[in-house]
Amino acid sequence: MNYKSQQSGDTVEILLSGRFTFGDHTAFRKLIEEMRDSGVEKQVLDLSEIDFIDSAGLGMLLLARDEGEKSRSSITLRGAKGQVKRMLEVARFDTLFKLEN
Amino acid sequence: MPDGQRRPTLAVAASLGAETVNSFLTGNSLFPDDASNRATVQYGGTVEDFAADLRYHACLLPCPTPNRWLDALFRINCNVFVELFPNLDLGDLGPLRTSLRDDRRELVVCLSTQSAYHLPLARKFVTALRQRNIIGDDIAPSVELAVQEAFSNSVMHGNMELNTSGRFTLDKLNILADETRKRLAHPFYGGRAIIMAARHTQKGRIEISIHDQGPGFTPSDDDGTFNLPGDQSTFGRGLPLIRSLCENVRFGRGGRTIKMTFPGHAQANTNPFIANPVTPASLPRNGIGLARILVADETLISRESLAAYLKIGGFGNLAFARDGEDTLAQADWFLPDMVILDLMMPKMDGFAVCKALRADPRFADIPIIAQTALAETAGRTKIFEDGATDLILKPVNKAELLARVRIHLENRLLVQQLRSYWERTQSELELARNMQERLIPRADYYRTTGAHYGLSISAHFQTSSELGGDLWGLLPLDDQRLAVWLVDFAGHGLGAALNTFRLHSLMSSDETPHDDPGAYLTALNRHLKKLLPVGQYATMLYGIIDRQDNLFRYACAATTAPVIGSAGNPDIRFLDGSGVPLGVIADARYDTREIAFGCTSFLMLYSDALIETELDNGETLDPARLQTLLQKILMDPEETGDLAAILTGYFLDHTPAILQDDFTLVTLQSKPR
Repeated sequence: MNYKSQQSGDTVEILLSGRFTFGDHTAFRKLIEEMRDSGVEKQVLDLSEIDFIDSAGLGMLLLARDEGEKSRSSITLRGAKGQVKRMLEVARFDTLFKLEN
Repeated sequence: MPDGQRRPTLAVAASLGAETVNSFLTGNSLFPDDASNRATVQYGGTVEDFAADLRYHACLLPCPTPNRWLDALFRINCNVFVELFPNLDLGDLGPLRTSLRDDRRELVVCLSTQSAYHLPLARKFVTALRQRNIIGDDIAPSVELAVQEAFSNSVMHGNMELNTSGRFTLDKLNILADETRKRLAHPFYGGRAIIMAARHTQKGRIEISIHDQGPGFTPSDDDGTFNLPGDQSTFGRGLPLIRSLCENVRFGRGGRTIKMTFPGHAQANTNPFIANPVTPASLPRNGIGLARILVADETLISRESLAAYLKIGGFGNLAFARDGEDTLAQADWFLPDMVILDLMMPKMDGFAVCKALRADPRFADIPIIAQTALAETAGRTKIFEDGATDLILKPVNKAELLARVRIHLENRLLVQQLRSYWERTQSELELARNMQERLIPRADYYRTTGAHYGLSISAHFQTSSELGGDLWGLLPLDDQRLAVWLVDFAGHGLGAALNTFRLHSLMSSDETPHDDPGAYLTALNRHLKKLLPVGQYATMLYGIIDRQDNLFRYACAATTAPVIGSAGNPDIRFLDGSGVPLGVIADARYDTREIAFGCTSFLMLYSDALIETELDNGETLDPARLQTLLQKILMDPEETGDLAAILTGYFLDHTPAILQDDFTLVTLQSKPR
């Protein structure tokens, strides 16, 4: 998994790409630290270029949410497609995150 | 042939070196007996070095295995892939030793934990199963997810013995990341093997097993519900998810093996690595009287009256079953042409029997006549959903029974005749396909030729469901100039393939000078117009790489836009592919265009399947997406080298196993000096 982040005003948009699986915790840890340090209220994780996610990947998204709650920032998941979209549906992530197309 | 007499052929990554390979082979852990000592070893620097028409008994992957070598799983004609890493100790891991049976419906991959951790193994494994027609495209997403979850459990909890239970926190993640890094580098944990294997079961299912060398894990009694959000983290909560994705999950070797069963794939066999399809038992051609009929009914009196009716009707080749399980057992040896099935039976009811029979490729299309006293319509509708061909009501009326038996057996006979006709046509098409593939340059030829011009040439060619109309070739003009061409005849099928033969002989016999692309296409078009029936046409690119003048000069007839660029530079260009298609009008004229082609340049040619095939995310690689993808590849420091191989790997990962159109991709990259 790779990511690129971009800040505009009070929003940080992070574009994730590739496969997001159990081996990506190092990259994700960095990402969470960046999100935390940005101190921005609205964080958008753009998943449109993720082509596969496993349960560990979902777990890491939940962790991002926990961290977001600590710093009172909201996390939106945007643009999930195909397998990623189905996983978010199965795991009922709509009850935990703001989802956008 | 007994194993002892075999002489295995091995495809081996050259980077392993002869010494390592020899000591591994004499270590005798891969093959039984002394077969290893007699192995023929063929070395290759890349996956593309191994000829597609050669059969290998095992492929030894480099250590650590780079991503690119995983494409061997679907590009090398072999079923056993093993990374040769220093601590490789197969121990009690048996699947490799039995693999000399050489069953082409199996796939075995053995990697070190160190390599496996970093590789998209689940995806490549599933792509290989799809490409070999072992599983259908339809279930591939579920299989991939189940394999991914099981694989991550085997790697993380099994071989690396990492504990990821409990709620996930940032602190835990940090500890996990550090510990993962340490254990991967540790010879004990990182040097354990992980084996992924797929095979057909006798019941027509696919079993995928993953074996690790950890301490073993005993799954708790799980209620099987998949309930992700909640107190527990999702990490390591894969088992309920796996259970929801496959038919059956079992554990073996004290919890160090997980076996998952998936539905089989009852499609026509198109496994590129298997020559002859398995033919199901066929009905006697001389009529329906000899048809084998299996009568399944709990009561003796019903069986006897059905038998009496059938004998009066001239059907004497009968077998009987008393309950559901008996029905399956009888079917297994009797191979019936028809089953008359009572729905209410002990042990296993008729609905379940019907489903089980349909899942077995041998009985996927035999007539099954259900008999029932059920008055309610729900059960009667359901049995059709479960695969019954017809339904008769009890008590059975003789005339009605015989009429239905006859009509269904006659239908089956017709279907079989059609199928045998289809199979004959298929084998002839197969022959034509082989002939067509022989027109395509072989890897050793284009590599040697390319090297002479300082080019590394790579190509992938795959015909579609039917015969196709793609063809490409090289033509050395002199020391400094190499011509390359790619043609795509409209449509596919026999007509398009015949046209590729026409063109090939025309190009070989033609007197027109080859050194002016525009003039060459103009002349070729004039000839082709005479040969091609009205309505048939081709798109074509003909170009010359000129090393002396540092130019690429080319002419196009409505071709896909050739891509040109430079190594390590994200600026790529789509060239102008426009022009009148060949064979449409006799006096079409083609201009020669030119563009700089220097000592770091590359050129990419492709048929429209690359940009028109729908990917698994519903999109196509339209020019904008193709450009993004190419730029990503060009700028990725880990993706060195072979552009066609990298792009093909991506393409095959994301497209159906059977393409609608021919797929051709050729890249010519300047070699670094």
